[in-house]
Amino acid sequence: MSATKETLYLEDIVPGRIFTAGPYVLEREELIAFARDYDPQPFHLDEAAAAKTPYGGLIASGWQSVGILMRLIVEAFVGRTISMGSPGVDEVRWLKPVRPGDRLSARVTCVEQIPSRSKPDRGICKFVYELVNQDGEVAVRMKGMGMFGRRPGSAT
Amino acid sequence: MRSRKLRYWEDIAIGTKREGGGKIVTAAEIIAFASKYDPQYFHTDPKAAEKSIYGGLIASGWHTAAMMMRMLVDGFNNDTASLGSPGFDTLRWYMPVRPGDILSVRSVCVDKAPSQSRPGTGSCRFQTEVLNQKGEVVMSLITIGMYRRRPQGEETPT
Repeated sequence: MSATKETLYLEDIVPGRIFTAGPYVLEREELIAFARDYDPQPFHLDEAAAAKTPYGGLIASGWQSVGILMRLIVEAFVGRTISMGSPGVDEVRWLKPVRPGDRLSARVTCVEQIPSRSKPDRGICKFVYELVNQDGEVAVRMKGMGMFGRRPGSAT
Repeated sequence: MRSRKLRYWEDIAIGTKREGGGKIVTAAEIIAFASKYDPQYFHTDPKAAEKSIYGGLIASGWHTAAMMMRMLVDGFNNDTASLGSPGFDTLRWYMPVRPGDILSVRSVCVDKAPSQSRPGTGSCRFQTEVLNQKGEVVMSLITIGMYRRRPQGEETPT
């Protein structure tokens, strides 16, 4: 994928630019397998037990939802950048449960671009990342940042 | 689970600590997680990762978060009347997690409030840290849990 598309540098990731990817269909087996490994709570594991919770049925671990969002972020644009990882995430809200069979897409909006003062080859961009379901509802909203390489020769 | 008394929102005091640990990180698990959820080469390709700024394979930060969740569930959540979480705040990744690392988690309740919108429930905020075998904090965040409140008439656990 990355070989067929142009590399994106920090300079290309400007406030207001939107990247999208998806859909990713979360199957029941994958939902349960993740929960078994990383979040074995009844409402992520067991249909009958989940039916008795306020969620009314099986829902994905929120950590799986952010994992799917991350995968789509990589597909949307990070896979084409000189990615230097991320210092962190300021806020995540799980706004709607993600359920088996949901078709999930990512919408990533750049809100700020900050070239590094100390390291002229890189900079940080801040984003609002959203995981949207098949009904257009935002299931996960995340505010965070990524570090990206600058276009060679562009540093001042 | 049925044989134990549940811990409700009332039973989680500010200062309540929870700990877990002993999670051994393997290259195979790093690659399996990242192949699905964070397919960047420094998480999926040990050879290519050597040439990255990290100098070798490192775990996805989201994999570290997932391993943290498992340690918390094993250590604490399954004893409580947990209703899940609305989200988390201020997550920071301080240093890479590599194959062979042994992770632990420590979490302390720093704030709690009854829910305004959902009677019978309350939330707690926890300052949560993931550490490696050298005692270095590799990740920290504020986790948020929602819990059922104790139904009237039910005894407190001893």
